[in-house]
Amino acid sequence: MEHDNILKIKFGTGYQLDTYLSPLGYTGWQYGIGNEWWQPFRKDTKLGKTGRLDHWAHVGRVEIMLSNYYSSARSNSFFGIQIAGGWGAHYEWRWFDERLRVHVGPYLEAGLAVRQHAGNVNKVLSLDIAMDVMAMGGISWSFYGKKTSYRLNYLIRTNLIGFDYLPEYWESYYEITTGVPGMARCSGPWNHNTVKHELALDLQFPHSTWRVGAEHEFVKYGTADLHFMRHQFSIVLACRWKYKIHANARL
Amino acid sequence: MKILKLILSILTAGLLLTACRSKEEVAFSMEPVENVEALWQIIDTKYCYIDTKGIDWSAIHEEYIEKAKALDKNDQVALFDVCAAMLDSLRDGHVNLYTAFDRSANTAWYDTFPANYDSKLQALYLRDYRVAAGLYYCTIDNGRIGYIYYPSFSTGFSSANIAWVFTAFKDCKGLVIDVRNNGGGAITNAYQLAAPFFEADQTIGYWQHKTGPGHEDFSEPEPMKLDASLIQSKWGRPVVILCNRRSYSATNLFVSMMRYAKNATLVGGVSGGGGGMPMSYEMPCGWTVRFSSVRMYDRDRKDIEAGIMPDILVTQHSTDKDDLIEKAIEVINKQ
Repeated sequence: MEHDNILKIKFGTGYQLDTYLSPLGYTGWQYGIGNEWWQPFRKDTKLGKTGRLDHWAHVGRVEIMLSNYYSSARSNSFFGIQIAGGWGAHYEWRWFDERLRVHVGPYLEAGLAVRQHAGNVNKVLSLDIAMDVMAMGGISWSFYGKKTSYRLNYLIRTNLIGFDYLPEYWESYYEITTGVPGMARCSGPWNHNTVKHELALDLQFPHSTWRVGAEHEFVKYGTADLHFMRHQFSIVLACRWKYKIHANARL
Repeated sequence: MKILKLILSILTAGLLLTACRSKEEVAFSMEPVENVEALWQIIDTKYCYIDTKGIDWSAIHEEYIEKAKALDKNDQVALFDVCAAMLDSLRDGHVNLYTAFDRSANTAWYDTFPANYDSKLQALYLRDYRVAAGLYYCTIDNGRIGYIYYPSFSTGFSSANIAWVFTAFKDCKGLVIDVRNNGGGAITNAYQLAAPFFEADQTIGYWQHKTGPGHEDFSEPEPMKLDASLIQSKWGRPVVILCNRRSYSATNLFVSMMRYAKNATLVGGVSGGGGGMPMSYEMPCGWTVRFSSVRMYDRDRKDIEAGIMPDILVTQHSTDKDDLIEKAIEVINKQ
């Protein structure tokens, strides 16, 4: 069974608003690494009635990002760490000699983003914590050059339902850590919007496959008092390789 | 070439996307009226003592908006002075305005009180001392009494430091903890220093955090508990706490806690207060304002913002000895 692994580095710019820490918007840079893997559920992928090789597959992702953001007044800064991981299953359809592929399926993602505000007193940290069931989809098209073959991929996922955490507007980290509760709530498109999408081009050379692409992440949620927004754009460089998994072998 | 163009297009689109800003964001501005208004709003909705101190904050709004209207947009120093004067009306040592060129501070809370501290006189006692993290310690009164000077609650220490200090004082009759001119720091250090003088975990005060923009929108008082896990060493002999008006903020909380400790006596001047735990926020021009945001109370639910009255009020008059330390020695020797 083939297992497709993509190891990537990311860097880019972004915008963040976190009115728990500051009413000002912050812009800056982020850098990160991530890994994702794609794998069919079964070795014997199904030939459909039309002879297409359709199948169920699953995908997993982990990534960590560091960020440095400055206020619009350039007077203060955030330092941030984001960790995200997820797993999803999807059904993939293939057409035109497998050149066109479309997949759709559910995806479960958990994310934690910590921001430290350099200038604040007793309110130095803020957290994004969320776990979402998402809808995931993607489309890819393969085309061939003289020495290289290419595949253009577009992937998107957006949240359907889950939970998120917000601190109370007025509380300090002392209060958060000594019992004054924040708010964990059910979240969905009505109060929490997450859209993550990626456009990437795979370049398959004789001995290796490389990916270059761009990712955009948009997260917005809040309450009447508190507003959080994250808008990040990253360039992605990745190395993609396949390896075979033998029966009963573990990853 | 086509691929390169495609990637460049994607990059441009991405940069445009991140240029989209939230409508909830406060836009950067150096406009004086806008900044004075924003500062007034921050204090109006987040400061915790407006009604307690009987401040007519609406009248202050009218006064300072008029002053802001007369300012030149490019004169940041003049804007700072107007904002600092407005904040000064809160008469609070926890209220500061931080900019790249200056920091405002109110000193009225200690200016009119006796200093009750002279480092030259203190040096007559604090001799041949050792330093355990932030704790300066030695024995006084011919080795009969232990003396700890703790100049800042911002400097941490551990239970091991306390254990070493107590070991050095094992033959002492009593202990003096001098927190004069200690302007505060971390509350956790206040708990740590107070812990050896308590037998078990207990409520040592309460705090209320704001729950809304109204002047009196507060949560129910939450107990502040001294956790038994902090009690790694114990001191059962007499202890005297020396404080003055500049014993402020976390130090004030420490002094408040020590009133409930067994065998403890407070000696000196009224502590400085600073019972409102400060937080900070930013103005549209990027300046940071710090302000009291969480009200703290003692175990009897009395506000500690105005300071703690000592058990024995002493004022420094002598020029050749430290009257407060001498009083502490006397108190311990009488027990």
